[in-house]
Amino acid sequence: MPKLRAIAASFRHQYLHFLADPQWLIPNVILPFMITMVVLIMFQGQQGNFALYAVLGGGMMGMWGNTLYASGWSIQFDRWNGTLEEVLATPSGLIWIIAGRSIWNALVGIFNGLFILVIAIVFFNADLSMYDPVLFLLAFLATLLSLSALGLLFSSAFVLTRQAGVLTNGLEYPIYVGTGCMFPIALLPWWTNVLSYSLGPTWGIESIRYAAIGGYEGFATGYWGSMAIMAIISLTYVAIAIYLFRVVEMKARVNASFVRY
Amino acid sequence: MVSDDIVIEVKDLVRIYKTGEGLLRRKKKETLAVDNISFQVNKGELFGMLGPNGAGKTTTIKMMTTLLLPTSGTVSVMGYDVAKDPYEVRKHIGLVLGGEKGLYYRITARQNLRYFADLYGVPLSERDKRVDELLKRVDLMDRADERVEDYSRGMKQRLHLAKGLINDPEVIFMDEPTIGLDPQAARDARKMIKELVDGGKTLLLTTHYMYEADELCDRIAVVNKGKVVALDTPRGLKSLMKDMSIIEVEGFGIADKEIEVIRSLPGVRTVSATLGEEKQVLRVQVADAAEMLNPVTHVLEGRKIIGVRVKEPTLEDAYLWLVEGNA
Ligand SMILES: Nc1ncnc2c1ncn2[C@@H]1O[C@H](COP(=O)(O)OP(=O)(O)OP(=O)(O)O)[C@@H](O)[C@H]1O
Ligand SMILES: [Mg+2]
Repeated sequence: MPKLRAIAASFRHQYLHFLADPQWLIPNVILPFMITMVVLIMFQGQQGNFALYAVLGGGMMGMWGNTLYASGWSIQFDRWNGTLEEVLATPSGLIWIIAGRSIWNALVGIFNGLFILVIAIVFFNADLSMYDPVLFLLAFLATLLSLSALGLLFSSAFVLTRQAGVLTNGLEYPIYVGTGCMFPIALLPWWTNVLSYSLGPTWGIESIRYAAIGGYEGFATGYWGSMAIMAIISLTYVAIAIYLFRVVEMKARVNASFVRY
Repeated sequence: MVSDDIVIEVKDLVRIYKTGEGLLRRKKKETLAVDNISFQVNKGELFGMLGPNGAGKTTTIKMMTTLLLPTSGTVSVMGYDVAKDPYEVRKHIGLVLGGEKGLYYRITARQNLRYFADLYGVPLSERDKRVDELLKRVDLMDRADERVEDYSRGMKQRLHLAKGLINDPEVIFMDEPTIGLDPQAARDARKMIKELVDGGKTLLLTTHYMYEADELCDRIAVVNKGKVVALDTPRGLKSLMKDMSIIEVEGFGIADKEIEVIRSLPGVRTVSATLGEEKQVLRVQVADAAEMLNPVTHVLEGRKIIGVRVKEPTLEDAYLWLVEGNA
């Protein structure tokens, strides 16, 4: 229960910061939104699937961008701000604090995705008739959690490194492409596919496609199959993250890297 | 008052910082910040650490509060080892690191306190009441719903104090608790500190204000270059100066060279100088003031002297002798 409390409080805390300072909307919401719009305009005349790719892509980009910035920047911000030590001095493990923040940030991405959906339907007459809206929503939420878990995994690196920016920028685009949120990953070389399949959100997007596109074939895992694979991968992320956070916290206490010095 | 239960036990504590690590900066530098210190703090005691900048006070506090691991040696707080059981230690302690940083400046004071209350696991039913109480206690109630970025330095410091008490800790660590406070607020903070200890809490603080240490502390550790050079009650420390007097000289144009000459006079133990832009004040520690008055003023011949007084030594003189002189 204390863990849930720390997650909930940190979720709220991140939301308060979001309200107080929405400037980071630019990289995380507006940019993916604009890219989506461009793709939509390009494929305006085409039928169903491409528009759907664009919409899903924009939503996923927003979600991923948010998660990555959340994990990276919230730790970096806390370090500069002197609050990393203050939260570490509490009995709540850092991992649960970051988890709460990551979930909020991925949620902002979801709103972003929904917003894009509305625009696509209203202004571009995109054919987005949902095959199964309930399963779609379920897959969307599960993907959100999976993204947060992946963000959590990466964020352990940020506790140690002071070069958070390099890591954030370096990971952003590979993930957009790797998870297949912008293109069907079948178009990419085989070795990138191997990488993609190890990412939970890849399977989340598969599930979303099963739910959204009638008769979708994909990798023949089916909706629930993809969901199950995503769940297993994501839980593995959390397990690894718990371990990494423990190691990283210990290292930081040795190196004094909780403060910028 | 002071019982025999040991609440904080520091044994052979050493901390070395290694800096210059990283990809580009290969050269490593080691700083010995804490050099084998040991002491114990009893339940209900108010324990002070005094020492010049860089003496290792903050480093020691960070080790006692689980933020840094000792390079060697041990610390236990309430019976829990800070290296092995950090989460247990954290449940029982409060920490005031203070300063301009360490608060979420984009949200309000109340939101800051609530967040920390949640992270410390303060029961939900008590949380808002406790936040209110603490805001009142540090006199921030009127401004509680303003963003911290609009606070003055002293207000931030008071918020730090409130944050340090949010989990109603049994042991409280305060690093320079009154830094940045105006005289009135500093007095209120000292009053609060006294009340905490009267209420049975154990408190360890660092300070650069001698009268504060003298007024508050049951015992004081004087730290210099990572070592404890003296550990005693304020009275005990002052008694190091027994049989000594202070010749205080106020004047203009006193140069370093003359201070050195005075320091080397036979019969002079040490000299501390406050060198203002205009006025200088020397405090010369001597055994026999009557005998030394002439030799000291003789050195300063030709300078404009506006006052020479013989004074009783204070805690500050004892401190200066311990860290500058050669105890
Ligand atoms: N994170 C760090 N990395 C490397 N060296 C450090 C670090 N923090 C402190 N030091 C060094 O350790 C020594 C002790 O510093 P510390 O901050 O403990 O002193 P202090 O007694 O608190 O001083 P002050 O009165 O100025 O606050 C100093 O030489 C300082 O430069
Ligand atoms: Mg300090």
